[in-house]
Amino acid sequence: MPIDMIVNGEAKQSAADPMTPLVDVLRDEFHLTGAKPVCREGFCGACTVLVDGEPRAACLTPAGLAQGREIGTVEGLSAGGRLNPVQASLVEHDAVQCGMCFPGMVVTLTHFLAQTPRPSRDQVRAALTGNACRCTGYERIVAAALDVAGA
Amino acid sequence: MSITTPVDAVMEFRRRDAGDKLTGRTRYTIDRGAPGMLHAAVLRAEVASGRLVKLDTSKAAALPGVRAIATAADAPGRVGIGIADHALFAQDRVRYVGEPLAAVAADTLEQAQAALEAIEVEIAPLPAVLTMQDALAPNAPLIHPEWQDYEVLLEGGARAGNVAWEATAVRGDVDAAFARPDVRIVESTFRVGRQNHMAFEPRAAVARYEEGRFHIETSTQVPWTVRNATAGFLGVPASQVRVTVPPVGGAFGLKFDIAIEPFAALLAKLSGRSVRLVNSREEEMLTCLFRENAEIRIRSAVTPEGEIAGREAVVLMDCGAYGGEQIFLTTMTAHTLGGNYRVGASRLVSRAIYTNTAPNGAFRACNGVYNTFALERHTDEIAAALGMDPLEFRRRNVLGDGDLGATGQKFEAEVLRPMLERMEALRAAAPPRRPDDGRLYGRATTVGTWFVFTGPSAATVNMNADASATLVTSGVEIGSGSMMQGLPQIVAATLGIRPEDVVVRQADTDAAGYDVGVGGGRQTVSLGAASLQAAQEVRGKLLAVAARMLDASPGDLVMQDGRIEIAGPNGAGFSIAEVAARAQALNGPVAGTGASARKGVPSLPGCAVGHFIDALDIPVFAVHDCEVAVDPETGHVEVLAYRVVQDVGRALNRSAIGGQIQGGVVQGLGYALHEEVSIDADGRIRQNGFETYRVPLASDVVPVEVELYEGAPSLGPFGIKGAGEVPILNVGASVACAVANATGARVQELPLTPPRVLALLLGRQPELAFPHILPAWDDNLLRPHGAQP
Repeated sequence: MPIDMIVNGEAKQSAADPMTPLVDVLRDEFHLTGAKPVCREGFCGACTVLVDGEPRAACLTPAGLAQGREIGTVEGLSAGGRLNPVQASLVEHDAVQCGMCFPGMVVTLTHFLAQTPRPSRDQVRAALTGNACRCTGYERIVAAALDVAGA
Repeated sequence: MSITTPVDAVMEFRRRDAGDKLTGRTRYTIDRGAPGMLHAAVLRAEVASGRLVKLDTSKAAALPGVRAIATAADAPGRVGIGIADHALFAQDRVRYVGEPLAAVAADTLEQAQAALEAIEVEIAPLPAVLTMQDALAPNAPLIHPEWQDYEVLLEGGARAGNVAWEATAVRGDVDAAFARPDVRIVESTFRVGRQNHMAFEPRAAVARYEEGRFHIETSTQVPWTVRNATAGFLGVPASQVRVTVPPVGGAFGLKFDIAIEPFAALLAKLSGRSVRLVNSREEEMLTCLFRENAEIRIRSAVTPEGEIAGREAVVLMDCGAYGGEQIFLTTMTAHTLGGNYRVGASRLVSRAIYTNTAPNGAFRACNGVYNTFALERHTDEIAAALGMDPLEFRRRNVLGDGDLGATGQKFEAEVLRPMLERMEALRAAAPPRRPDDGRLYGRATTVGTWFVFTGPSAATVNMNADASATLVTSGVEIGSGSMMQGLPQIVAATLGIRPEDVVVRQADTDAAGYDVGVGGGRQTVSLGAASLQAAQEVRGKLLAVAARMLDASPGDLVMQDGRIEIAGPNGAGFSIAEVAARAQALNGPVAGTGASARKGVPSLPGCAVGHFIDALDIPVFAVHDCEVAVDPETGHVEVLAYRVVQDVGRALNRSAIGGQIQGGVVQGLGYALHEEVSIDADGRIRQNGFETYRVPLASDVVPVEVELYEGAPSLGPFGIKGAGEVPILNVGASVACAVANATGARVQELPLTPPRVLALLLGRQPELAFPHILPAWDDNLLRPHGAQP
């Protein structure tokens, strides 16, 4: 039975087995390769997407659970090619290196800052605990998030 | 031709790839595919040592969707660095858990994996040698019984049995120094484990076979190594292999060697289709070309005044089942352990040892990270033995102008000493963050010596008639920003255009000349030198045309802000686009080429044996300072503050360098504190993913206070030095020395996990003993230094 979902505001249908990880459906069927399957065990956060507005590891989310839900990926956060405030702040802070963790970082931070518009530094650090980065040492990401919050 | 002044290239240019990386548009190798593409999987050995008795692929070949199966018969060649000891597939013998036995391409990944299950394998177990101690034991089983038959690619290294390579550096009379009546001998031993790069993009490749040639898209730092080694494994001319490299999702040295590319290439040829091969995270963990585990003994003869009269060391580096990078890295000990300090006489041996474990490789500041840990802890033990302040000891003894390194190269200029002064000023500016919660406080300042690998690079600059320039090289963007910031800045400054208008072509071995690869801090230095030369040729050509257009001498022209004008107020001139268009019409499109190579700084004859590099073209120095709090109840170490003074020669882009330092230090904190790899009794790596291998998280880190030290001499263009490699160099050292100072314990091992620290605090950590490092230094050598083989 096909799986119907709304992806970045668009109705989509997948023929995948319901146990297929959502990240594979997004990447292989819908060609949304922003979410990165880095660890495939829910630890690194690079495949984070929004499921009905809540951040989820797409590697641990069976596609079947996306039935009838709204899925938001990093591609949906920059409609019309305009960077959202989190993305723009990360550019401004020269935070990006290899970039593989950033799709998940951006989804997490965008959601977090919407929920917590005036976070403390420690709150930002705690919010990022589920998103590992191997290049940057995090500080610029934290600073970029605090800058968005201060704006 | 007017000279480009260094300041022109110094910019805070933001990287152009950030937007795409932040919006998910960047297509890394793992994001690439083609219609009709097949998916590949590799069958790997489950035992550490054995004789391959049977490998029958006939049942697997008959399964649905299976398009090709490759085995050892398809890949006859052996490759390596220094010694060609490594075949693509295990041939008659299995040497580590995870060694490839066969590779399958099928319509889907599931079909390929099902085919692996159907391959019939029989391996007769042989005794496995899992540690260097076992490998060096008398009568140890040989991991490569046929070691004498391997082709030797560089003469000079001593080899025998399980010693894959031995390099020595001897300068002066160490025996005489140790026999001096006024010295005391300080001896220290150290051990470090392996470190996994955990690059987020696994090793991945997409291969095609078209018009009699292989085309491999791959996530690598070394497109030319992949080209040449793929050809070597498959036994085809290297000209039949083309390698292109999309943006690389992290590397850190992991991708400084051939990896899975030949499997994909071979399967593409056999199947006639595009083939995609991506390592699973578990495969990445199992076959990571780790930073090697090492065992080190250092002895120094020091006078009561703190003069280091003589020093000797034995460094054992575990290369795993095949020599790989470790063969080359034996060279580094002379510079990373033999650096930092002025020493009267020294003798150092580094030995790469075969074991039945996954091969090790290169990792950011490879060899240097643990040798710096060992040297700096040893230095603190010397200072303690002399009753001297460790900072004062360093002030007196760090390398200065005219001092000799371990291979007899003469260092230029005072660099480390003024850097130490800068660090002391930083320290003085902030009060110590001594905790008041019962935790133990420790602090340490350490020094480190690294060097930039230079070596061959090539660049072409094409000047377009619209005043944009296209830079064509084999350089790869692995995240460091060299291709996004440093190189376009150099070209733009030389041509008087904006860096935004320099198009940087992705690495393609069909389009650009040879390059050693991204690593060792060489990218902006070596490719920068080649790019500068290419841009200068273009500049000369444009100035010549402009001079004719303006009826002036080229020497009277300035080229900046997109224009070429006669120098002086109200100078007449043209836009660069006008000049480029005219030049194109007159003489054809304007291009320039550049090439750079190793400069070859001299060492003393006879000092270095079995070395790939005898002296450092571009030394790089670092001074780090670290404050820690140690919880006496749990053994947990918290880093309270971290400071770096880094020698950068000249900072082309301070923001980019700052990002490298923060990231490199944090990777080093992981190595120092909790990134631990262990190997079980069957020879299998225990850590199989992010759950069991703990990398630093946002809540673990501190903002690193950074000061860039400029002005030290450098052969690099504009006086630059590589800045991305070195930030990790002293981190293990600084944390270890700070923890030793906090606890009063003898720190001899990394990582300093809570159980290890607790054992130190409770006096339950036994002193390291290395029976396989013999008491007399000479007895550790296969043949005396300098003796003929």
